[in-house]
Amino acid sequence: MQQAEAVRSGATRLPLLHVENLSVRYGGVVALAPFNLDIAEHSLTLVLGPNGAGKSSLLRALAGAAPIRSGRVLLEGDDITVMPAFRRVKRGIALVPEGRGRLPTLTVHDNLVLGWSSAPHGRRETYDTEMARIFGLFPILQQRLKQDCSTLSGGEMQMLAIARGLLAKPRVLLLDEPSLGLAPLATARVYDVLARLSAEGLAMIIVEQKAVPLPSANLTTVVLHNGHVRFREARRPTGDELARLYLGERHAP
Amino acid sequence: MRELRLSAMEVATLLVIAAIVVWAALFGSRLALYDLTIIALYATVVTSLNLLLGLAGQASFAQTTFMAIGGYGLAVMAKTYGVNPWLAIALSLLLSVGLALLIGKPLLRLRGHYLSMGTVALALGTASFANASSFTNGGWGIGGVPALTIGGFSFRNSVAFLVLAWALCAASLLVYRLLGDSHIGRAWRALSTRQDISASLGIDVPRYKLIALVIAAMMASLAGSLYVAYTRFVGPDLYDISQVINLMFMLFVGGLRSTVGPIIGAAFVILVPQAVSGFEHYQNLVFFGLLLLVILLRPAGAFGRVRGQRALESILPSWLLRWR
Repeated sequence: MQQAEAVRSGATRLPLLHVENLSVRYGGVVALAPFNLDIAEHSLTLVLGPNGAGKSSLLRALAGAAPIRSGRVLLEGDDITVMPAFRRVKRGIALVPEGRGRLPTLTVHDNLVLGWSSAPHGRRETYDTEMARIFGLFPILQQRLKQDCSTLSGGEMQMLAIARGLLAKPRVLLLDEPSLGLAPLATARVYDVLARLSAEGLAMIIVEQKAVPLPSANLTTVVLHNGHVRFREARRPTGDELARLYLGERHAP
Repeated sequence: MRELRLSAMEVATLLVIAAIVVWAALFGSRLALYDLTIIALYATVVTSLNLLLGLAGQASFAQTTFMAIGGYGLAVMAKTYGVNPWLAIALSLLLSVGLALLIGKPLLRLRGHYLSMGTVALALGTASFANASSFTNGGWGIGGVPALTIGGFSFRNSVAFLVLAWALCAASLLVYRLLGDSHIGRAWRALSTRQDISASLGIDVPRYKLIALVIAAMMASLAGSLYVAYTRFVGPDLYDISQVINLMFMLFVGGLRSTVGPIIGAAFVILVPQAVSGFEHYQNLVFFGLLLLVILLRPAGAFGRVRGQRALESILPSWLLRWR
């Protein structure tokens, strides 16, 4: 199915996601200065930056959760700039929120069903088929199925949040700091799965504070600082480069 | 769904309640029949609140408004205009749904304390309107509301009304359970804690909130109508702000999100003041003392499984905690 989609978008020569002069403001504070980005099918975009750089604002604006001040967002050529968040999910933009989005009083099963029901009917398969795929990626969730999701560990909850996002059958998956607050082992496990999904051709935008272990094929890195783009290249920045970008020339090693 | 599954304790409680109702229907005194009928009707309203606040997380204090529409709707239409009481109840129900739809969109945009204040204002407005309007006969209220009848059979008979009231209560509990376990309930529980994340899960948050408000309004309206059909009288005191507080007591004594909790809570708030009426002037003091004790000993209510009890536990002396 993904091949067919690739052919379709190839024929029309449209990027999957086109972001044009997008800016976000909270009150008088500019969170993100006019920002441009094109996301191709199967591509991987890593958005790095320190706290307050505008990374989360970018993702939340794309998902419809932050107010867009100016600019526009096109998904497969359709303008979705003012579309409410819940509709964007059906159109193919799924967000894995920062802090993992724990929903107390919901079991793991409830979370997965919500994720599955958020997918467009045409793109999703039966619940059991989709679940089999999810449990292949995250076997632990099968064991936790009946537990309230407030009893999960941070790593398990992150896996559940990613599973929810995947079940929406997105064209683009947005991940907001998936490694935040996770133990190194849990981070490695999460990124194993993300690398696998990328290899399978899922387009993703991943926001992180520090460089993460991702394959560099199809990778674009954008570094944001105070809402402005400081770096944009089709590779991973080196540690020295990042230090310079985050801290300025004077403090670089 | 763990929180909504009936525990063995809840099943046992439901059976005991059913046995008490059957016993009262067969051998009960008039007072027992009266109390049990009123408990069933209040438990229905509290269930509507449980659905709004427990499942959907919307702290609405305006359930008395919909009770009032149900009650006054029946009284005014049936007594003043001679409409068939059943039709009057149905029309009041439609009126409640209409009002819920009308005020729901703007009201439910408010969150947290603002929603509470907005709905308290609505509840206060309802009581003032009932008190002031000639339409509702002001502070006098409307008496002699026509009794419910089917063919030649009259619900003036207390046992028949007991069955009717408990049928409504059972239906509302069933609706609560079925919806709670359905996709709608899942969406409610999701949006009750995080609206942004719910939206990112494809949930149309304003729409699901409105559904909760409308269903809760229907329950409250029907219970409000039956209350007036039973006592044959409606007055503004039934809907004043102390009633709003009583409904909250009932909900929290029974336990938020518990299915049988509303019945226990309603029974407590209705029966305990009667039981302590011997204290005369100190009756309220004793009742609220007991209420405080219940809240201290079971912060989550009789059947509640609410987390975050620590805030209350932290103010208790440790010797009291050991008693539990």
